[in-house]
Amino acid sequence: MRGYEYFKPKTIEEAIKLMGSIEGAQYIAGGTDVMVMLRQKKIAPRCMISLRNISDLSYIDTNDGLRIGSAATHSAIEENEYIKRRYCALNDATTHLGSRQIRNVATIGGNICNAAPSADTACPLLVLDARAIIVGPKGSRELALDDFFLGPGKTALEKGEIVKEFVMPRFDESTGSAYIKHTRRQAMDLPILGIAARITISVKSGSEVRCKDMFCTIDSISNILSRLKEEGMRCVDARIAMGVVAPRPIRAKKAEAALTGKIISPELFEEIGDIAAGEAQPRDSIRGEAWYRREMIRVLVKRALIKSIDRVIRPDEAIYPERLW
Amino acid sequence: MNNLTIVGKKIPKRDAPLKATGSAVYIQDLKIPGMLHGKILYSKYPHARITGLDTSMAEKLPGVRAVVTASDMPANFRIGVMKDNPPLKTGKVLSIRDEIAAVAAISPEIAEEALSLIKVEYEELPGTFDPLEAMKEGAPLIHEEAKSNILKMPWKLVCGDVEAAKKESAFIVEDTFSTPWVTHCCLGTSGCVAQLDAKNNLTLYSNTQIPSLAQNDYIEALNAFGLKGKRVRIVQSVIGGAFGSKLDTYAYEYIAILLALKTRKPVKIVFSREEEFFATSPRQCTITKISHGCDKEGRLTFREMEMVLDNGAYTSWGATTPSVMMLPISSLYKVPNVKYVAKCVYTNNTYSQAMRGYGNPQATFAIESSLDQLAEKAGIDPYELRLKNANEPGEITPQRFKITSCGMKECIDEVVKRLDWKGKKGKGGNRGVGMASLIHVGGGARVYKSDGCGTIIKMDDFGKVDVFTGASDIGQGSETIIAQIVAEVLGIPIDDVNVINNDTDICPWDVGVHASRTTFVAGNAALGAAKKIKAQILEIAAKLLEEEPASLDIKNGVVFSVKNSEKTIPLGKALRKLHYTLGGNMLMAEYFYDPANENFDKEFKGNLSVSYAYGAHGVEVEVDRETGKVKILNYIAAHDVGKAINPMLLEGQIYGGGLMGLGYALGEKMIYEKGYLKNGNFLDYKMPTVKDIPPVQAVIVETDEKDGPFGAKGIGEPGLVPTAPAIANAIYDAVGVRIKDLPITPEKVLAALREKEGQTHK
Repeated sequence: MRGYEYFKPKTIEEAIKLMGSIEGAQYIAGGTDVMVMLRQKKIAPRCMISLRNISDLSYIDTNDGLRIGSAATHSAIEENEYIKRRYCALNDATTHLGSRQIRNVATIGGNICNAAPSADTACPLLVLDARAIIVGPKGSRELALDDFFLGPGKTALEKGEIVKEFVMPRFDESTGSAYIKHTRRQAMDLPILGIAARITISVKSGSEVRCKDMFCTIDSISNILSRLKEEGMRCVDARIAMGVVAPRPIRAKKAEAALTGKIISPELFEEIGDIAAGEAQPRDSIRGEAWYRREMIRVLVKRALIKSIDRVIRPDEAIYPERLW
Repeated sequence: MNNLTIVGKKIPKRDAPLKATGSAVYIQDLKIPGMLHGKILYSKYPHARITGLDTSMAEKLPGVRAVVTASDMPANFRIGVMKDNPPLKTGKVLSIRDEIAAVAAISPEIAEEALSLIKVEYEELPGTFDPLEAMKEGAPLIHEEAKSNILKMPWKLVCGDVEAAKKESAFIVEDTFSTPWVTHCCLGTSGCVAQLDAKNNLTLYSNTQIPSLAQNDYIEALNAFGLKGKRVRIVQSVIGGAFGSKLDTYAYEYIAILLALKTRKPVKIVFSREEEFFATSPRQCTITKISHGCDKEGRLTFREMEMVLDNGAYTSWGATTPSVMMLPISSLYKVPNVKYVAKCVYTNNTYSQAMRGYGNPQATFAIESSLDQLAEKAGIDPYELRLKNANEPGEITPQRFKITSCGMKECIDEVVKRLDWKGKKGKGGNRGVGMASLIHVGGGARVYKSDGCGTIIKMDDFGKVDVFTGASDIGQGSETIIAQIVAEVLGIPIDDVNVINNDTDICPWDVGVHASRTTFVAGNAALGAAKKIKAQILEIAAKLLEEEPASLDIKNGVVFSVKNSEKTIPLGKALRKLHYTLGGNMLMAEYFYDPANENFDKEFKGNLSVSYAYGAHGVEVEVDRETGKVKILNYIAAHDVGKAINPMLLEGQIYGGGLMGLGYALGEKMIYEKGYLKNGNFLDYKMPTVKDIPPVQAVIVETDEKDGPFGAKGIGEPGLVPTAPAIANAIYDAVGVRIKDLPITPEKVLAALREKEGQTHK
């Protein structure tokens, strides 16, 4: 491992200026990806510019929607009570990334800017309609996260640019979300497949969902869906995002469209799973076989959606449901 | 036995505070003044001819002190069990871990950079990576001079008449099972420091688990270098796990010695995690054909097994694991007729070594899976089939093992009771239960001519003792166990016992840490030495107290008269009186314990161990039919241990073994593609993490082994032996699919479920 210079700017402006003035410099935040690449000799920067000392970059602001500074750690996000209740998918992702030690230093900005197809926070941010606020030498700009990822390790960031924060709209109480990370291990693992969903629902009479208690049982998903159908539950809005099935985290837009406006039913969920699977291009790798990943899209899209519904109708119990989904 | 004060107690491991606070000195931490750092250049191809080698650029790099290649090694010097492995290769490379050159430099970074300056030209050769393919006519030959890829080490065990038994069997099952390459995952990576004095005597700082045998290997090496009659001292640093991986000496150690000779400086070689994955010797993959039969009542009639083992490119102890596989094959349950044939086959993969269980896990996976198939065919509950055929005390097995104590039935009963077997078996709902048993050597194993261990005890002027034992502590806790045994016998506090176990200059001979033998053999050696020195102490005290030695005893470091409690003398005082007197003396005792076990005869028969360890594991699983994931709901591990010298350490061995078995069953596999290791890191090698640990109940069954120290038997390896088949059997009970190829991944379970339901995936 070759030596490198290390800078600790105090402001974003200073960081951007440094980046502009030094050839072969590399931004580093938590370092949990950069240090690995360094050791694997995938990068050999002459200089590192740390973003950890920039004080106004690690906030979590829940006043109007959600604004998360890019240097917020996964642990900080994981422990935020508002995110736990209103942005469940993001909580799911931050609680399942790496290990406690990694989550204590790894930042959300780093996870997104590293742009791995398997990045845990990417799918949740996609379904939560996140926008990235980017600051660079030419000023600041805003980009929908869906336009941010270009390919494995490739983003829309231009030289010197830093993601300052992620901005998400406010979702009302008829919206729930979930992220399912399909892994071989319970910790220290990358997903074989990551599925995030967000759904906004309405019930015919506007009254309470009557089959609520079924969610506490071991009844099958299709039985629960049949009951939701009987009660006329409708999907008002939906997002589905998939990780590790394409060169970048992607939205299953056809599946989203097929779901929006429809009455929820077992048949519909089967169809949505099939459509989403059709939108993916999973590959064989040592981490998982393509056929298995495709199969799991069918299963997990369904589970992520029903988990999201569960969180709408049982907001107090549904944070860590022990059911299969 | 009833008045034990230290043996049988939960005493924390002595080295735990050192390790927990980071103050233990591992080989990684060791620094010697003037020390250089060695790095090894490995082959780029799994099978190739080296057509050019140029080290001149590397030699010129500032900070480089030596570059060595095969031409610096004695021409015909080979290492390993079959002496088929030159520490530095020339002519042909046979695997991606083949060592071609090495560098010593003033820093690891410079050594690394020097490697990149070495130019090697190769002519790639077609390789052979599958042992079944390698056995075929016309397969590329790995060792051309051997003329065949099949090792000249034929394993064959025949007991009774299998063919006749087949005819008389009411039910017969036959199937094929396979297991993958898995690695030990020692947290402390391999490494050594080689240092030569002015007269070329060698000190090797090492983390070997066979100091006495390694000493012999290095003396041979020095002889080969033309350095005859030299002394070799092995000093072990704190060892961060071994699990069988350090049962042999390796090329990197000889390379360090060579570099030290060249540079006249101490040379350290420490493996990176990547090297630890691809350049150490793991447990080999096996393919096993098994058939099993029983009569109408479910009594086993025969067991026949045929096995092919991937030996890899060179030969280490992995090739001899069939000898231990014979143990469960011939003697797990009462089975009168047995036939076993095994072939080890050279391939262009890494080469295999012993790993915890020494072949037993591979064999037991086939046996215990097949036994469940037989139970189903015979219409008998698998639990009843096991109980009906369980081993018993006093039995002499077909391979001539003399079973002394045997708690197999008790272990099976514990599993059945604690798992609620009868309430849960065959109840559906995607949940199921399964069990498997084990037999292993528990009283040493005579694999060499000696199975002995020496101990010396020296008493100081203050009543404290130094115990010099040949037995290495590789993390299993032998230091604590030996201290307990000595403290118990001598009647002194355990903190007054100092155990020295890491230096061949001062510690007596021991054959090594293997075969779960240390508590039994080294424990007996410590027991013998402690009894000897106790007799001496009592004799001295008897004179001082004017009593008969027989009426004295020691408690809390004070000698006292059993008859008259007024008469006491502290140990230290007695010792000082012995010293500070005209014609004085000192106190020291030595004892060599070599168990009365037997080497196998030419037919691989004989009483290998003086006692045998038993156990049974039971598991309840839930299978997710949509994803193929298996969740362990409950895990019972019952072990016949003779006597628990330290229940805390014992439970640790059971948990650790169970978890290692769990990794073998559900996750771990070294993925080799055409000789290249594809997952040589902890991200993609799916060793379970702390969050993957299911609820495990360790159940200790005590049977009081007559030959064991305080009744104990070995427990080092058994914990992982029956895990995989117990889980496979539980999955079958849950969803009716049998996975015969480890590890049992969600993909395999889902594919099997689909096949069973007659579906294919969309």
